[in-house]
Amino acid sequence: MPEATQLEQRLAFLRDEIDWPVTPALAVRVLARIAAPTTSAIVRRPWFQSRWALAAAAVLVVFAALVVYTPTRVAIADWINVHTIFTRVNQLPTPSPQPSGPLGKRLGLGNPTTLAQAQTKLSWHILVPASLGQPDEVYLQFPPDGPPQGEVTLVYKSRPGLKTSGQTGVAVLITEANGKVDAQMFGKMLGNGTTMEVVTVNGHQGYWISGQPHVFFFIDANGNFRDETLRLATNTLLIDDNGTVIRIEGDLTKAQALEIASSLS
Amino acid sequence: MEGRPTDGELFTRAQRGNQAAYEEVVQRYQQMAFRTAYVITGSAADAEDAAQEGFVKAYRALATFRSGAEPRPWLLRIVANEAHNRVRSAGRRHQLELRVAERFRPGDAAPSPEAAAVAAEDSKRLLGFVNELSDEDRLVITSRYLLELNGEETAAALGIPEGTVKSRLSRALARLRVRVEEGAGA
Repeated sequence: MPEATQLEQRLAFLRDEIDWPVTPALAVRVLARIAAPTTSAIVRRPWFQSRWALAAAAVLVVFAALVVYTPTRVAIADWINVHTIFTRVNQLPTPSPQPSGPLGKRLGLGNPTTLAQAQTKLSWHILVPASLGQPDEVYLQFPPDGPPQGEVTLVYKSRPGLKTSGQTGVAVLITEANGKVDAQMFGKMLGNGTTMEVVTVNGHQGYWISGQPHVFFFIDANGNFRDETLRLATNTLLIDDNGTVIRIEGDLTKAQALEIASSLS
Repeated sequence: MEGRPTDGELFTRAQRGNQAAYEEVVQRYQQMAFRTAYVITGSAADAEDAAQEGFVKAYRALATFRSGAEPRPWLLRIVANEAHNRVRSAGRRHQLELRVAERFRPGDAAPSPEAAAVAAEDSKRLLGFVNELSDEDRLVITSRYLLELNGEETAAALGIPEGTVKSRLSRALARLRVRVEEGAGA
């Protein structure tokens, strides 16, 4: 039918004229959800049932990730309980521009508070590094944006001998969170230029992640990836202190990070 | 030098657990998935959720993807199903209002301002008639012509047999033509 053909031609022309909504960048979110055990079909055993199996697997996989950069989920290391999902990727996704505004909003840290007020609301003793002294700012975050038992972030804007991080705009960020063994609160995507090694601080085990900036994001109380917190992070030390995970981020050397961590009390 | 992998090769790698390959799959298909979900739900926010959920579910169902099959209809079926579920659970579909972009496209043959205005007005009128169609008619026309899906993909997006696409499309075009003619005579 000629008329139908003409109409179809006009529809085909219309195709290029449509003002479609902007397609969101889905790859990062999809990969984060694939890696997140809370939304995964994988049923995980309680950590004490498979502690040594997991330990062996984690060591093997971390080693493999350091040697050959095959894109793979690195480990959910329950034996080093850092409550963090690690994902290895060949190419880091490009984070969206951070929201403008104060530091807490920009980095998704929660609401400003004081150390004393934060302590009254948290079930664990907030560890403060003696080497850095009292923080310049303190932020607190609870569900729905934070983990079930909350998380506190200590901000050190500048300290002698420490550089200001190009990613955060401050010298050091220390975030502490506490939760069930299988709770995941942070996510990290590591590219080929980022290395990760197991370290020990005051008898507590953890990871030193350094090199090229990696992608960091928070996970909320429901295990969902909070994409507005996705940003590039610089060198980070993650340690487990008897169930409290502490992440120390800054443009630090390994020695500086370990010194800060060993002065926590 | 290794060339760009085909969609099928990416699926095969993703089936073996290669998440970087799946990331590439998402990047290649996210626009098609999002726009298809948008046409179904009428809401960009719902479309984003449906597309994201669809890609996650598709990853977990990769083992069921038959080697050698076409990845596009397989993925579209999963994403579209998520979008249809959102419409069903909401109890209603948002009113889809596609619009004509107000822009000059590079490469256009430098039409006169008058000709450009006439063409833009023509596009707006035609899109207005498409927007006024019933959900069923609008979905099949939009899928086939505006999203440029083939018959198998349109069937996947609409959740109907491929054979039904042709007859439904024919009826929808006939109804659209009536509207266009009535509009021209008005």
